[in-house]
Amino acid sequence: MTSVFLRRIGLYALWLFAIGAGLVIVLDYENASGSAGSAPSRWISGTSIPLDASRDTLIMFAHPRCPCTRASLGELNRLLAQSGGHIVAHVLFFRPPNYPADWTHTELWRTAAAIPGVTVQDDMNDAVARKFGAETSGYVLFYNPQGRLLFRGGITDSRGHAGDNAGESAIISLALGKPAAVTQTPVYGCSLLDETNSQSNAVQ
Amino acid sequence: MSSLSSNVIKDTVADSGRVTELFNEQRQNIFRHTSHLFSWLMIFQWFFAVGLALWLSPRTWAGMDSRIHPHVWFAILLGGIITSLPVYMARKYPSDTLTRHTIAVGQMLMSALLIHLTGGRIETHFHVFGSLAILAFYRDWKVLLSATVVVYVDHLVRGFFWPQSVYGVLEAPIWRSFEHAGWVLFEVVFLIISIRASLTEMLLVAERQVNLEELNETIEQTVAERTAELTRENAERRKSEAQLAQAQQIARLGSWEWDIVKNKVSWSDETRRLYGWRAEDGEFSMETCLERVHPGDLQIVKDSLAESVRTRRPFVCEHRVVLPDGTQRIISGHAEVVVNESGEPIKMIGTAQDVTDLKQTEQALRRSEDRLLQSQKMEAVGRLAGGVAHDFNNILTVIGGYCSMSMQALEKNSPLQKNISEIQNASERAASLTRQLLAFSRKQVLQPRVLQLNDVVNNMEKMLRRLIGEDIELSIAFDSSLGRIKADPGQLEQVIMNLGVNARDAMPRGGKLTIETSNVVIDQKLKFRNRTLDVGEYVLLAITDNGVGMTDEVKAHLFEPFFTTKGIGKGTGLGLATCYGIISQSGGDIHVYSEANCGTTFRIYFPRTDALMEPAVATDNSDMPAGSESILIVEDDPAVRRLAVVILGNCGYKIQESNNAFEALATIRRVPNFDLVLTDVIMPQMSGKELSDKIKSQCPHTKILLMSGYTDDALAHHGVLEEGLLFLEKPFSPAKLSRKVREVLDSQPSATEMLRKNGG
Repeated sequence: MTSVFLRRIGLYALWLFAIGAGLVIVLDYENASGSAGSAPSRWISGTSIPLDASRDTLIMFAHPRCPCTRASLGELNRLLAQSGGHIVAHVLFFRPPNYPADWTHTELWRTAAAIPGVTVQDDMNDAVARKFGAETSGYVLFYNPQGRLLFRGGITDSRGHAGDNAGESAIISLALGKPAAVTQTPVYGCSLLDETNSQSNAVQ
Repeated sequence: MSSLSSNVIKDTVADSGRVTELFNEQRQNIFRHTSHLFSWLMIFQWFFAVGLALWLSPRTWAGMDSRIHPHVWFAILLGGIITSLPVYMARKYPSDTLTRHTIAVGQMLMSALLIHLTGGRIETHFHVFGSLAILAFYRDWKVLLSATVVVYVDHLVRGFFWPQSVYGVLEAPIWRSFEHAGWVLFEVVFLIISIRASLTEMLLVAERQVNLEELNETIEQTVAERTAELTRENAERRKSEAQLAQAQQIARLGSWEWDIVKNKVSWSDETRRLYGWRAEDGEFSMETCLERVHPGDLQIVKDSLAESVRTRRPFVCEHRVVLPDGTQRIISGHAEVVVNESGEPIKMIGTAQDVTDLKQTEQALRRSEDRLLQSQKMEAVGRLAGGVAHDFNNILTVIGGYCSMSMQALEKNSPLQKNISEIQNASERAASLTRQLLAFSRKQVLQPRVLQLNDVVNNMEKMLRRLIGEDIELSIAFDSSLGRIKADPGQLEQVIMNLGVNARDAMPRGGKLTIETSNVVIDQKLKFRNRTLDVGEYVLLAITDNGVGMTDEVKAHLFEPFFTTKGIGKGTGLGLATCYGIISQSGGDIHVYSEANCGTTFRIYFPRTDALMEPAVATDNSDMPAGSESILIVEDDPAVRRLAVVILGNCGYKIQESNNAFEALATIRRVPNFDLVLTDVIMPQMSGKELSDKIKSQCPHTKILLMSGYTDDALAHHGVLEEGLLFLEKPFSPAKLSRKVREVLDSQPSATEMLRKNGG
């Protein structure tokens, strides 16, 4: 009887420990942010993205096959809905060189294209992303009409996790002319760069 | 059991122990079933989580590079770990408390995993609420608490270490950790209320079941008692029925019931046997039942039944039935009529008793009484006849004897010859009358021998033809294989003669007299009809005439002595009585069948015998053989004694005479070497038979010849002469006496010869 009880105790302890360890790993992974890169504080002209002269301009860089970006696009949708039309949004999907457009036109592309007020285009070989210093999918830059960088970072609180978050709140505040609590947040998503190109700064 | 359920049980009126048992049993069943449900649900959830991960985030990317997304591994590994122990416990210990709590914890953890895998979609949070609802299937509020605790701990820990993963901010007040769990608690509270209601209902169901069980037990007990009672009653009823059937069989008394409305008759086994129906025969109509009734009684039975139905009076009817094998039984039927409320007869319930034996016994008794009466009458007549015959035969002996001697002494042409002849004829007729008197009263001495009836009839044919005359045709039909009988041939001739004379008298204008012989076997069936003869083989002598016949009245008195239909002086009334006496004395029987103006048949049965034929006695003639032996004549009647002395003296014998037995014994003592002692039987003081015995003891070589006209059973048993006795019947003629004496003397060595041989 005692041995059965002890065996059962041991079994439950092992089970709880394994679950605890697993949950820690999961949470640790969920909360591991990607590389933010170095964004230009002023709008860079000469790209395919125009700076709107009357409204704030938001640029999101996305990997077309990153599962975590699905949450970022969801938050972008909510953000634009709450910004009262003060934001012009562009989503640039990474497109590797020599790959057809179909590789980029994924379900994420279609999700982004379906968001009202969002312009979707591909970014061949991360050309624009490199100029704006974007290295992680879901990375958002927010410029005012004068081209000044007001916010940079992600709009989810963890990897692929939807819901209210600091980045989204900050952009909405800025778009409404209010002060933002933060101007920079971590980014959670896949790396836009290959492993070899991002060994130094990409964290997955 | 929870305190909640304990309180509810206390309020029940049923057996609380049994209620508790049933309640716990039901709960254990629920635990097992719910655990089983969760074991499959959690496995399904695990596969679902893996599928979800593969669908939502199959791979993670870095530019052009990709690899399996960590979510897939989390789903497989962490999901597997979360699922493993609850499923194991659910399968191994489905009703354990620990199993339920393990499942609750595992289910909440699976909710957390799924929420993570779906990127925190608010919809996925419904898994938590759905899981709580399913956990409520256990109807154990403590399980819900375990689940709630897991939710709280999850939020508390993550809110502390990774607040942004729960609240969307990097910093959050502690109360927010209770906000999410509060909604869980909200559901749990109502689930607990629902569980309480459900437990209360379960207790009520258990109580009802206990009440039902108690009721069933009472019913079963009642049923068992009633069944035992019925079984006992059935056994007693079967025993009573068997006893009744046995009693009916013993009493040969069956019962029957006639449904008058449906005209269906049912009966007991004994009734069925009495009427000869088979066991497989079902119910019959009354008309079918009556088919067994003897045709002679059928109308009486029908009338009796109709009368009873009409008058509602009891049915009483005695009738014969004819069984399929031809045998007949006499049934005594009794029944009562049952009427309905309107007084209409609806059925008849009755009995049928086989009274055949009773009736036969009654008839036998009646016949015995008749026979006793007849016997007493015969005895009286016999005594009279015997008394008369003794003296009368002596007288006739003297008359006849002297007539014979006178006729021998006279010249043949003497006119006295005719006178003496008439005297002698009268004497013979008187002797014949005396013989008939003795015959019908069965006092005569029979000397039976084994003979062939055909021979007797054949010998009488000429005499019969003379007797019946030319107007009557005599037809004789013999059975060539006819058996033998033992009878006195002289008496047999007397019977045939008497019947022949009667037949002749019945055919004054001529006719046909037929005499037939045949073998007859009397079996049970014939015995039933004849009623006087025993079963066995018989020889039949049938004498038939086609004369005037007889009325039933005449038939009833036919064999009575002195009864005659002939005119005065034409018949003595002793002929048929004599026949009856001779036949009865011979062990046979005589039946008469007659119809007025049609004729009469007498059927005489003699017991058949397998013994060998005995030689016939020499016929009568007038020779008087002589001799020289010494003879002692003992006779109390002086006339007869003198006649015998004269006859035998004339024949050359040396004669001495004695008046009585004592005197004879004295003479023998004086002269012991008599060759023959001729002695009367009926004498005063000492009979001839006693004298014979004494002489035999004193002089064993002296032969003894007894003579008598009536012996009064001194020499015979039932009229048949004792073996070894030599007898001469009175009246006798001189020739008959001398022949008999010579026959006796010649039968074996005489005393003289014996003495001579012995040198005496």
